Amino acid sequence: MLTIAHAGHWAVNLLYVAPLLVAVGVLGYQSVKDRRQLRREGGDVRRPPAEGGQS
Amino acid sequence: MHRRRLLALLVVAAGIVLLAAPDAVLAHGFGGRQTLPIPKWLFGWGAAVVLVASFVGLAVLWPEPRLERPVQRRVARVPRLLDPLAGLIGVAIFVLVVYAGYAGSQTSTTSNIAPTLIFYVFWVGLAIVSPIVGDLFNALNPWRAIARAMAWIAAKAGRGALPAPLSYPAWLGRWPAAIGILAFAWVELAYGGRGDPSNLATLALVYAAVQFVGMSLYGIETWNRSGDGFAVLYGLFARISPLHWTREGLYVRRPLSGLTTLDPVPGTVAMLCVIIGTTSFDGFSSGEAWGAIGPELMSFWRSLGFGQATAFELASTVGLLAAVLIIAGLYRLGVLGMQSVDPRDLTPTNTIAARFAHSLVPIALAYIVAHYFSALGDEGQRMAYLISDPLGTGANIFGTSGATVDYTWISANAIWYVQVGALVLGHVAGLVLAHDRALVSFGDSRAATRSQYWMLAVMIAFTSLGLWLLSAASA
Repeated sequence: MLTIAHAGHWAVNLLYVAPLLVAVGVLGYQSVKDRRQLRREGGDVRRPPAEGGQS
Repeated sequence: MHRRRLLALLVVAAGIVLLAAPDAVLAHGFGGRQTLPIPKWLFGWGAAVVLVASFVGLAVLWPEPRLERPVQRRVARVPRLLDPLAGLIGVAIFVLVVYAGYAGSQTSTTSNIAPTLIFYVFWVGLAIVSPIVGDLFNALNPWRAIARAMAWIAAKAGRGALPAPLSYPAWLGRWPAAIGILAFAWVELAYGGRGDPSNLATLALVYAAVQFVGMSLYGIETWNRSGDGFAVLYGLFARISPLHWTREGLYVRRPLSGLTTLDPVPGTVAMLCVIIGTTSFDGFSSGEAWGAIGPELMSFWRSLGFGQATAFELASTVGLLAAVLIIAGLYRLGVLGMQSVDPRDLTPTNTIAARFAHSLVPIALAYIVAHYFSALGDEGQRMAYLISDPLGTGANIFGTSGATVDYTWISANAIWYVQVGALVLGHVAGLVLAHDRALVSFGDSRAATRSQYWMLAVMIAFTSLGLWLLSAASA
């Protein structure tokens, strides 16, 4: 059974993950912002060009 | 653009303050062997800041590809005799390893030259030297030298051209090389008989036999480019070097630019994930996490009826494969993120993964340097007495058999700083290569930068993982 008695050690190890979590959060937020800006500029890359009718 | 420049400056400044002035950070020194001014995890944060700063710097200051059209300049002629001479030296070293493995001392791995030559001078030493001096192993490669000599003799004796080799299957790519390096890593990290020099000699002969079969089927140079694990490995690292050796001459080029001409054949990503993954497992298996997981895995195998030694090998094999798969998974996530920039782009994920594979090469090198350079410095010193007494029989050929190993040649703090520096430099180089390739693949600077968001996250993940493994191993 994996020991949980040394939770303090594991918690310190989690500090190594913190920069990654911060980076993923910031980059995720930035990519959402980028997509919104692209939509505003009419360059929506999320959707393929509509086949006729309204875009 | 003004805001982005300001942001770039702020991030760079923060990185410099965090790394160059650690005393300013409120933290306690470490006890024990290392007396670092800040906790190790804070180095991970500093490294992440450096990577983000590099990323922003690239986005702002690197709008055009600079490495993708490598230019090289010939600076010297290479004497024709150099290639066969280097091959002869390689063959002599190979024969020495095999002979020492069988005829030398079997009681201690440190009194026989074979283990030190294989695991330190060859495996780590060549990996570290290749990015500096170029593809040294290609010249020394004993299997290539023997095959070329045999082909020359056969052509002379047959008074004509030898039959043409088979065409190398495109789908095979660098997979044989990846499997070869995985097998070597298994011997180094999981195989119970790795400490027995005669086992190492047998495995060296088996490896050589596989290379001879490959070269005879597909041609010497073709097999060396794709099938020989060590030739591929050191060839990849040599692409970092500003020196490029060919039969025509010695060329100089920009460091890293040789990587941009890497052909993205199948198995390339696998090869690099094997190097990073197996090195990661080496660090992980020395830490407390594996200290908890390893015995559990061994108990599982023992409950199935395997003996203690086999259970250890099986548990290590599972750990080794899991580490490679985790690294491959992280890289895959970065590639999928890159793909999400433009869903209309129907380029297969594997193609994009292979296109950016070259950015993993400096990372693989960084992992090797960070994990093994101090071992090379320690164990490599054994060569001083082993060259005088290679078999451990008490000989003193060059009068150096009394030499000893000085483990204090470098302080524990200095080891840590080199490890951090290697990891950061390797990942920054990876970012540079990926950014340069993205500029070509995605057309404009903005799309290229957006495509690299997730590669940045992957680089931070690899750096944090590397530092965590090193800190766990030296705890």
